[in-house]
Amino acid sequence: MNFRFEVIPSLCIGCRTCELACAFTHTKDRKPGRSRIYPISYAPDRYVPVACLQCDDAACIKSCMFDALKRNEITGSIDLNLERCVKCMACIAACPFGCALLDDTHNEVVKCDLCGGNPACAQFCPTKALVYKRIG
Amino acid sequence: MVKASEGEMLLSVLRREGIDVPALCDHAAIEPNGSCRLCTVEITKEGWDGWKKYVTSCLYPVEKGLIVSTHTEELTEIRKNILDLYLARCPNSDLIQKTAEEYGVYATSFETIPDGDNCIMCYACTRICDALGKSAIAAVMRGHNKVIAPPFGDEPPDCIGCLSCAQICPTDVIKWNDKGGYRTIWNKRFELITCKNCGKTTITREFADYLIEKRNIPEEYFEICDECKRKDLTKKMGDLVEQAREVTL
Repeated sequence: MNFRFEVIPSLCIGCRTCELACAFTHTKDRKPGRSRIYPISYAPDRYVPVACLQCDDAACIKSCMFDALKRNEITGSIDLNLERCVKCMACIAACPFGCALLDDTHNEVVKCDLCGGNPACAQFCPTKALVYKRIG
Repeated sequence: MVKASEGEMLLSVLRREGIDVPALCDHAAIEPNGSCRLCTVEITKEGWDGWKKYVTSCLYPVEKGLIVSTHTEELTEIRKNILDLYLARCPNSDLIQKTAEEYGVYATSFETIPDGDNCIMCYACTRICDALGKSAIAAVMRGHNKVIAPPFGDEPPDCIGCLSCAQICPTDVIKWNDKGGYRTIWNKRFELITCKNCGKTTITREFADYLIEKRNIPEEYFEICDECKRKDLTKKMGDLVEQAREVTL
């Protein structure tokens, strides 16, 4: 893993551009998907963009009885293989940060996969609160 | 010419190459069992002197020099026959109707079962239950009377209400419902975990206990719903941001 997805809440202005970028990036059948990232307000005009933290000891990977969730060794993200997913919702219930989600539109489980190595949210973030960069 | 690794099944290679082969009982999470027969393909090899044979591609491991045909006149005829039989058994299933229409079968030439269910006996439900390590349901009886059922038709003692069987069923035969904080499936009633903060229900208590025991997931992870967990995370990160702000000021 040579990359890191950084979230800097103090720079977030809650414009929700990341949400739009994510939803449109994950468009399927001409319908935008559910956004994997949300700016959530914790005080007036104070926001935290909440997205999957790609934990090292991930509860979602452990909870999946069918090995649908696997670590992508190149990007460092945890990727969901939809072909193996049976929608038992174990990962959604198990994630301690609530970052595995159910997409009602496409009726499938979704989670952040860092767009396979080039996150759209980071590209569109106007204040650079979301940064995807090389480390080391 | 297609590349494949040893031990791979023909169907997964065909799917990867974008070749459309119909299959009803195939799912990546379970072992193939070749029950729906629709993925039948024709195979031959150079040294076979024109001999060929029909195999279910989901169960046939790849070989060097194998020549595979997926859409020939004979195969279409075979699939039409299978779909004709499926239409007789499951006249009300949307998936069967759609697949049959693709092959030009609009009505069955056999006698239909008037009040039959839509089960195609593909065993996807029992296979996924086995994969989960529970094996709560199985096929019972023989011949025409064969059905997928829990032991002795009672509440299945091993069922944990995870819903995998109902979700994987290609023809949506397995009925279930979530009502008033309880889930009912296979005539067994399960308590759903209710979020402490907002009251939203998540998975069943039994399923959570199974994950806690089998996969060592801390129990407190299951106490609140995903939305409330995100709010908690926001609050925690927000506190850190505010602390850092005070330090810099």
